[in-house]
Amino acid sequence: MLEMTIHEKACRGCQLCLDVCPTKCFTFNEETGKAVVAEVGNCIACLSCSYICPSGAISHANHHEVQNFYRNIHFSQRMEKFL
Amino acid sequence: MSGDKIRLNTEWLCDCGGCHVALVDLHEKILGVLESVEILKCPVLTDEKLYPEADIGILTGSIRTEHDRHAAEEMRKKCKTIIAFGTCAVYGGLHGAGLAHSREEIMDCVYRQSPTTKTDFLPDSEITGLEKLVTPVDEVIDVDLYLPGCPPHAQFIFEGLSALIENRQPRARQETVCAACRRTMKKTEVTEIKASHEGMPDDDTCFLSQGYICLGSVTLDRCLAPCPNHGVMCSGCAGPTMQILTEPTHDIRTEISERMSRLTKIDAQTIKTHIEKSAKTHYAYAMATKMIGNKPTFLINKWIAEVEAQ
Repeated sequence: MLEMTIHEKACRGCQLCLDVCPTKCFTFNEETGKAVVAEVGNCIACLSCSYICPSGAISHANHHEVQNFYRNIHFSQRMEKFL
Repeated sequence: MSGDKIRLNTEWLCDCGGCHVALVDLHEKILGVLESVEILKCPVLTDEKLYPEADIGILTGSIRTEHDRHAAEEMRKKCKTIIAFGTCAVYGGLHGAGLAHSREEIMDCVYRQSPTTKTDFLPDSEITGLEKLVTPVDEVIDVDLYLPGCPPHAQFIFEGLSALIENRQPRARQETVCAACRRTMKKTEVTEIKASHEGMPDDDTCFLSQGYICLGSVTLDRCLAPCPNHGVMCSGCAGPTMQILTEPTHDIRTEISERMSRLTKIDAQTIKTHIEKSAKTHYAYAMATKMIGNKPTFLINKWIAEVEAQ
């Protein structure tokens, strides 16, 4: 099953993930000032949240990765070598 | 020294020397590293002019002179694993902005026009020739590992070296500088972009929310965010995030403008145009690499021409 996690320490509380999520997966915890995954079942793995998140704090697992037909080959060949 | 130790060579090419200093920033942890490592060549420690056979080779700096190219090639021949260490080695670094000028312009500015230089001739001996372009190390030799950062924080250096010594995967997140910043991002009514010297930014609120251009959200965290946590906007010294490097249409200015326009009342196009006008500053650290330079969205020469035409 698809999993979605927010690295809480990295979340800056901007709520941009709430703004862009087309299926309303997130809520905002006013006390902690951090976003929370509320309905992971709604997630369609569009990854919009992951792209907009300023911290890169949102990660997905067990999702179907769409074959990307246009990538930066020069970097993609090197990506695994990056620490 | 014991023959079982891992042999290490380091060499600096065109850089400020800060990456070698960063190795010393390991403080007492360096003693742990030295228990398993034998340093054979290191410009700040040893007087080794040649390139001994080694297991790990750390290269800092980019290729700017003919000597840099020779040194990188020799290191590749003698070292089993080459680490491109620091932003200059990985992306070309700050002096990559030199791409916006010809070699003649640079030589003229440094040796003839500089107000602090008394001589008026170009050096022709003792130093090796300046290459036409600034080149990241991996465009000259094969690189096995990349560790960006200007310099990389000791935490990442230690993790990288220990993982290599222990033959395991390093534990490092691919988050941005924002992930380590303490400021809170909130939506504001700000309508204008401010220059870094204008006004007094609030210490607890994100720079983007306050109208200041901060590159934190487009920069890989290999520093633990010292600048924004001490009141200075991120200048992107560790280079772009994996996301920007992978996606041809994502760019420093497109990502900043998208986030900042959602946090403030400033129009996304206004932010994008603002960044294009000072693109040589914002893209400086990584513009020498083909990973940024060849992006279809990266039009540095057009942006510079537009500013100069004004």
